[in-house]
Amino acid sequence: MKKSFFPDLIFITAIILLFPAHCPAAGNGSVHVNLQRPAGTLTMGDTPVFSGTVTNMGTKTSQGLVVYLSLVSLKTGKEHPVDLEDWSAQKAVRINRLAPGETNRQEWSMRLIQAGRFGIALTVVDPLENRPIISDLVHFDVQQKATVSSARILPVAAGEPLLLIVIFALFQWRRIRSRRE
Amino acid sequence: MKLMTLIRKECIEDIFSSRGAALYLVGCGVLSVFSLLLVSNTELSLLDNAQAVYMMAGIIMSLALLISVIRGSDGFAGERDRETLELLLITPVSAVDIGIAKLMGTFVSWLIIFLLSIPYLWAVGSTGQNLWPAFIYIFIAGSFLVLIFGGFMLGLSARMKTFKEVLSIGLTLFLLSASPVILGPSLRQSGIGRLIDHVNPFGSALNMIDSVVVDSQNISFQLPHLATLTICTIFALCFLYATTRRVEL
Repeated sequence: MKKSFFPDLIFITAIILLFPAHCPAAGNGSVHVNLQRPAGTLTMGDTPVFSGTVTNMGTKTSQGLVVYLSLVSLKTGKEHPVDLEDWSAQKAVRINRLAPGETNRQEWSMRLIQAGRFGIALTVVDPLENRPIISDLVHFDVQQKATVSSARILPVAAGEPLLLIVIFALFQWRRIRSRRE
Repeated sequence: MKLMTLIRKECIEDIFSSRGAALYLVGCGVLSVFSLLLVSNTELSLLDNAQAVYMMAGIIMSLALLISVIRGSDGFAGERDRETLELLLITPVSAVDIGIAKLMGTFVSWLIIFLLSIPYLWAVGSTGQNLWPAFIYIFIAGSFLVLIFGGFMLGLSARMKTFKEVLSIGLTLFLLSASPVILGPSLRQSGIGRLIDHVNPFGSALNMIDSVVVDSQNISFQLPHLATLTICTIFALCFLYATTRRVEL
């Protein structure tokens, strides 16, 4: 028997609307923030795009919201915040105006330059609120991949100057020999 | 025919002299050190291949500029310092032809540096995208830069008395041209930075390579850069022609 998906959808929507604290997006006051990671495996050198949404669930228009990413390395025993400048990520977005019920979507692209386990979160600062609003921490793993391989570079870097020295030495030797003759 | 003989002589002198050998070895050394830096530094080794090729292209363009400045400065002023200019001027070729031959000698030096850089470019970028366009555009951009700076420096060299004077101007010009690269992209985003970037042939050459290699943009995006390089080349060659029409000892 084919089960209709529609009643389930209404139920889930009702739960989200009635109990915002239980939904995956974190919230504080009237603004909700959510961050989603791209699907698939992430490898070093990739530039995945994380999708962020900021929704005004209240009845008043929010103004001057500042949205920014925070990245943390979750390597066991060496957990530390990561400077996003090295990851070429966009620093922050300012939302001038967010009307009630309106959702602002952002795309956060960054180049993955380090392997390991990471957590990323989106923070919204409302100038009228005392607390920042932070999304759930999104976990992701970055697989190791070296793009510039030493197996190709080392023979060229060491071999070419040596080859050039040998060629010039041969030319000089021939020149000196022909002068003597 | 006489011009061809002179060009051949200039090229052979540049390639087989110990001075030429030293220049190519220094060029190779710079490229080797930079590529070793790429593999020894964890962060740099993770660079996208295209980004690594672009960084390598910046070094190659700087070498092209340096060759042009040194060879161009030495062109007439060096002959004057060595007291061989008089001998050169009494040959049955005009000073303009001598200027052209010396510029061709500089161009051949650039060709050799370009050929020497190909294995390095392959080593850092063979697994990435746009390696063939990188070869083509690095060659085009470098050739323009050599004609612009080589022509301008030879023109100055024909007018100024000593090699040292011309070289000091040339190195200042080199620093000014390379400043957008040294200062980084953030300062190039301002209005003045963008203006300098458009007028500066070195900036245009690098932006063109960036656009082709990193951003995979087609030739229509390169037309403004090519226009800047062509206009600068025409000015430099006109300057060379005007200054070498009458060379004084």
